[in-house]
Amino acid sequence: MPPLGKMILRRLLWVFPVAFGVVTMTFFMARVLNGDPTELYAPPEASDALRAEIRAKLGLADPLPLQFVHYLWNLLRLDLGTSFTTGQSVASDLWDRLPATLELGLIGLALGIAAGIPLGVLAAVHRERWPDFLVRGTTLSGMALPQFWVGLVLISIFFVDLHLLPGPVGRLPIGIALPPRITGFLLVDTLLAGRPDLWWLAVKQLTLPALTLGFSSAAPIARVTRSAMAEALQSDYVRTAIAMGHGRRAVWFRYSLRNALLPVITLIGGVAGHIFAGAVLLESIFAWPGLGQYALQAIERSDFAALQGFVIYASLLYVLAFLLVDLLYMFIDPRIRA
Amino acid sequence: MTVVLGSSKVVPRRRRRPRSYWALRIGIAVLVFYAAVALISFVWTPYDPLTPGIGDGYDAPSWAFPLGTDRLGSDMLSRLMVGARYDLGIAFVAVLIALTVGTTIGTLAGYFGGKLDTAVMRAVEIFQAFPGLLFAMLVVQAVGAGIVNVILVLSFVGIPDYLRLARAEIHAKRDWQYAEAARLAGNLPWRVAFRYLLPNSVGPLLAFTSINAAFAALVTASLGFLGLGLGPNVPEWGNMIARGQDGVMTGQWWVSFFPGLAILGLTGGLYLLGDALSDITDPRRRGR
Amino acid sequence: MSDVLLEIEDYSGGFRSETGDFLPVLHGVSYRLKTGVMTAVVGESGSGKSLVALSILGIQPPAFERSGGRILFRGTDLLSLDERGMRRIRGAEISMVFQDARAALNPVFTVGRQLADVWQLQHGGGRSAAMKQAIEALRRVSIPEPERRARQYPHEFSGGMAQRAMIAMASLICQPSLLILDEPTTGLDVTIQSDIMELIVELSRTRGLTTCLITHDLGVVAETCDEVVVMNAGRVVEIGSVEAIFTTPRDLYTQRLLSASQLVEAA
Repeated sequence: MPPLGKMILRRLLWVFPVAFGVVTMTFFMARVLNGDPTELYAPPEASDALRAEIRAKLGLADPLPLQFVHYLWNLLRLDLGTSFTTGQSVASDLWDRLPATLELGLIGLALGIAAGIPLGVLAAVHRERWPDFLVRGTTLSGMALPQFWVGLVLISIFFVDLHLLPGPVGRLPIGIALPPRITGFLLVDTLLAGRPDLWWLAVKQLTLPALTLGFSSAAPIARVTRSAMAEALQSDYVRTAIAMGHGRRAVWFRYSLRNALLPVITLIGGVAGHIFAGAVLLESIFAWPGLGQYALQAIERSDFAALQGFVIYASLLYVLAFLLVDLLYMFIDPRIRA
Repeated sequence: MTVVLGSSKVVPRRRRRPRSYWALRIGIAVLVFYAAVALISFVWTPYDPLTPGIGDGYDAPSWAFPLGTDRLGSDMLSRLMVGARYDLGIAFVAVLIALTVGTTIGTLAGYFGGKLDTAVMRAVEIFQAFPGLLFAMLVVQAVGAGIVNVILVLSFVGIPDYLRLARAEIHAKRDWQYAEAARLAGNLPWRVAFRYLLPNSVGPLLAFTSINAAFAALVTASLGFLGLGLGPNVPEWGNMIARGQDGVMTGQWWVSFFPGLAILGLTGGLYLLGDALSDITDPRRRGR
Repeated sequence: MSDVLLEIEDYSGGFRSETGDFLPVLHGVSYRLKTGVMTAVVGESGSGKSLVALSILGIQPPAFERSGGRILFRGTDLLSLDERGMRRIRGAEISMVFQDARAALNPVFTVGRQLADVWQLQHGGGRSAAMKQAIEALRRVSIPEPERRARQYPHEFSGGMAQRAMIAMASLICQPSLLILDEPTTGLDVTIQSDIMELIVELSRTRGLTTCLITHDLGVVAETCDEVVVMNAGRVVEIGSVEAIFTTPRDLYTQRLLSASQLVEAA
């Protein structure tokens, strides 16, 4: 097997111990933190016998190692238990809400990258001059401000004052039914259902939360792009390119950006992981029916199974994100393959 | 060596201070200002921040109430001042704890290497797969509200980053010549690591602390926003933003707006400080 | 007597610190590079010899400010040219080889690709033709298995081999009239050093290049160069032919330099 193949395989295999660690930690955390969930399921006047029955049903009567084995076995069958709040299986709850978070997340992240990278390049190329200061000032506030506040400000300006965009009521205005779910992405399903009017409504509802998300993610992306690019521009190899007669544009976009993208990709991986693990606060403000809201509800209502399921999803998502980043690195940076 | 594109010209310039000089001083000034406000709030505020009904409820900013009042008629300025105690204090203490514990473990792991190092790094990797805010939310919800709990949870979440940083720094310097010299002089290993190697990494650690503190303040505000962690009537800035949400929809924007600005000032100042510190301690700056 | 290709005329300048202070570093540097001649610019670290060379191509550090002087290439003051004008000169008329070759090559592109890019930049044409030229250039500088090497990355090259690739880029892919080499052999093993110098000399002769060798290694100078410019602390202290400098150095500093390198011997 070529050395690159071996590296990839090793990196892939590493996912398993980490995933196992995550899953184990969740198991213990859930039990330690949530105490005895029997109380939640049992009516207040239940007899001891009833309580014992409920405990047995929840699998809590078994010794801990046995519970752990059941837990793992269920996980492998993708059974995450039943949500006490919704009455449905946690797995189906997660599946229902995933597209909302994904759709918002993808668009917000795309906006953040589309704004962040060019701004970072601009700041690096005009280092120590006014574009640089402008970008650094803006990104500083982007990183210093809590996302929920930015969302509120945007709502205040565009909805309350200017009436340009609709209020934070979720993915579609109140009372409008969702189109039949094919992909779960409204921007796709509305068109597939032949409802361009709905598509437009969905776009308008998406605008403010996506902008908020884009603003928050553009800030760190721009910063890292700037510093990586500035470092590349000062390097010996860029000096060589210029000495050989390459023009400015070629130097920026061909000979520096590619080098600068390495740390940027790592950052984007982290940001993406964070976004898709469910931007809890953002979804709360915009009443977005995604995974973040699900997690929040689960916490507030001590919904044991839902919480556990969500934590597993979110953590494994991070693991996946960093796996992708590492694999991408192996393709982009030839030095790693050495 | 760096490159200039274009012909070189002589540009007469007045003597001026480097940019990081100003950034450093502004950052420190901001911190001092916030600390002062927090301390003053123990002794004096324009009105009693917790008493409702002083104003009529949702008074707009005016001479009597410079930042307006909230829904219950409590003065915003007074509440903001008291809020400084929480956001600043919690972040500060949590970071201090995370710094101490994380750096210690990281230094040991980086210096001794081997199995200890591997085990610690794997544990950190697994731990960091957990979304930080979520973890904080979970724990706080489970163990209950209260300042101490919030501080402890925040420190816990912050430890891995310090650990990694310290480990990387120590690991890189472990084989340097002066470390060798310290060993040959008969110092015990832990002494070499802590007394000789660690002080050289003060720069990056300090810069990181500033940024970490900013992050801790944001998490505190986030927890407050969700109503977790401190209790419903505590005038913590995140909590205040949450309570002003309804006001935003009906046009009373100031209840949520000013706490956000307060957060911006604090975290912005901390980031600025962190930037300035990392600029100043960047070894590449010597002799340019 | 061959005519003057490049003339540095009274070039002075210094570094502007972040606080706005000006530290003069070069004081009225003047020397000439004659066509077809191999000139050495020698001096210790900090003498400013590299700084002047970088100024020729307009790639000096941004903190450096010129306070006076001209750099005349075939009569044109390079310092008065704008960016576009300089770009036409770089690579086409004047090119440069740097000290640390592996750092001077872009780590994320293959060596062949980088050479081919410069070929296309200077001479146009398609990618495959440019790549063929790149391989030929590598072959010409005695890099074995050039087809395989062209597909490799800089970190896979040894120091000496990378320097050969750089020389190929600067003198074969680019086809300048003037080739400047800034400490090309410093940091390489001694045997490799002499190989590289042999290559440089051979290429200069066969292509009729005017060569400027910046170095602090007097041994190399004695063997390969025709003229010598001695610099110290930002000033030119002596100029002369190799024979004159080595047998009858007039300046005190030159004498100290020679005795320190133990090269004082009757011609």
